Amino acid sequence: MRKHSFLAIAAALAASPAMSEDRTLTISVYGFNQDKFEELLYQPFEEICGCDIVVETGNSVERLAKIEAHAADPVIDMAVISSHDALGAARKGLLQPIDVSKLSNYDKLYDFAKDPLGDNLAVGYTFYATSIVYRSDKVGIESWSDLLSDELADYAAFPDITTTQAPISLYMLGKALGDDGHSMATPISAIGEKAGNFVTFYTRSSQLAQLFQQEEVYAAPVGRFAWSRFAGSELPIAWAAPGEGQTGGINVMIMTKDNGNEDLAHEFMDYWLSTEIQTKLAEALVDSPANSEVVVADDVAENLSYGADFVSTINMLSPAVILDNRDGWISNWNETVIQ
Amino acid sequence: MRTNRAEALALVLPAALFATAIFLVPVGILLSEAFRSGGTWSVDAYFEFFSQPLNQTVFFRTLKLGVLVTAVSAVIGYVAAFCIVGLEPRNRGRIFGLVVLPLMISPVARTYAWIVILGRTGIVNQAILGLGISDTPVRILFTETAVFIGLLQLFMPLMIISLVSAMENLPRDAISAARVLGANWLQVFLRVILPLTREGLVIGGTLVFTGSLTAYITPAILGGAKVLMLETLLYQRVTVANDFLSASVIAMILIVMSFSANVLLKRVATSRRGGTP
Repeated sequence: MRKHSFLAIAAALAASPAMSEDRTLTISVYGFNQDKFEELLYQPFEEICGCDIVVETGNSVERLAKIEAHAADPVIDMAVISSHDALGAARKGLLQPIDVSKLSNYDKLYDFAKDPLGDNLAVGYTFYATSIVYRSDKVGIESWSDLLSDELADYAAFPDITTTQAPISLYMLGKALGDDGHSMATPISAIGEKAGNFVTFYTRSSQLAQLFQQEEVYAAPVGRFAWSRFAGSELPIAWAAPGEGQTGGINVMIMTKDNGNEDLAHEFMDYWLSTEIQTKLAEALVDSPANSEVVVADDVAENLSYGADFVSTINMLSPAVILDNRDGWISNWNETVIQ
Repeated sequence: MRTNRAEALALVLPAALFATAIFLVPVGILLSEAFRSGGTWSVDAYFEFFSQPLNQTVFFRTLKLGVLVTAVSAVIGYVAAFCIVGLEPRNRGRIFGLVVLPLMISPVARTYAWIVILGRTGIVNQAILGLGISDTPVRILFTETAVFIGLLQLFMPLMIISLVSAMENLPRDAISAARVLGANWLQVFLRVILPLTREGLVIGGTLVFTGSLTAYITPAILGGAKVLMLETLLYQRVTVANDFLSASVIAMILIVMSFSANVLLKRVATSRRGGTP
């Protein structure tokens, strides 16, 4: 049963001495796949802990704004969010360190997921690779710079600068163009010169899948978490292995400062990171596992970012780089590409 | 008379208080942020906004599309309204129902349908190829044309409804009389129909123009980031840059544009009143 924040408010208003014994954990998460999370994660945990989980969903900005607005008296106990948004929250003093000694599954995590922000302010629970998805019967993709080729003119798409995929895709395009600096000036300028060749700068992978289906787009950078949308198509769509490699990102768990519910939040985080739950979420194609002990069948692995060998090949941008440069990238993009 | 007025005010008061507390005060607080700079009142944020070439482009694009959609809606709306009013009552109800029907469908669903229709393999491009207008499919999606078509389809029913309502009050003999006296159809429209239906045009025009300015879903889906409009720019500033100052400036610009359109349309209607036969 889906629970909402108003239930928590109603419960608080009706609180009695007996009810104060009840345990409620309020979490803030992405809206995707909530039906599967409910079945695989929330309900099983509620049965184990004898507690209630109140789920709040929304985009990152809305959720972060709520955490910030209630910083003095937190209404959210823990949240999952991108690593750079987590860093933004940390810099505003909204987070407290996670006591990793209370996470029995912590040592099972890939190294990159253990402490991505430093000071244990976050723990990675999933990650994804990003590469170019393309129509193998129409074009070949050997490099990120192929997105600018004449062969793809009028049939390429690129993530909009406002998306999580854009900075990492720009980084790889810059790398292909011989500039792997963090200003992104070279790749933004290159896209600006060929802006007319791009069908669109997409904001949602679901929208991109539809454009592939309509043969509107032949190639575009996409996160692996969305690969199943394309792999199920009758069209010959392939996942590229560009010479410069693949990029990717990591989503993390965070603990709000002074929420007063730290013990339950730690219990929940630990349960989420367990091999059992990470495996179930992977098999349901919800999240790629950050737990290195997870083993899944080949057909499942095919749709995820999976395996230690694979993890080591991903070119990631640090959260600090993204956070420190994002406004400049948006400004440059708007002037060079959109203008 | 005075008692009636007092009663009317008393009846309006609860709704007015509710609107003030729930809508006007929060909006006022939000918009006032755009006039605060360094602890003092200032319009620097507006100068800063319009100093950016991108913002100028987005502003004029929004204005252009709003005017175009309103103008084309009016032209098509008059033809449609004239035809609908001329029908016998039973058929008039049916056709009017068809006009209203799109308003009952989610704008998201309607706009997504346009992605299929306007795509390279969609019906529009099939027609273009079939008629030999072009050898290759024309890219319509994610252009101003796509946004224009989407907005027109979205808001034209509002114009038709307003004009049908206005034309139903038009004395039927007025057109016949004008024709008998030798006026051609253009003269009949300009000197009889238009002056007598101007209130409907003002209402429809305001609804369509305001709707076109403030619509988010249609420009976001059919135009995307390549055809930024004020409302999609506002969303970008808030959700990504967390820049509520720019968002307040854009919101104020949209409100001013909407009110200006209403005032302008009313003034146009009033100025023509002297020419009413």
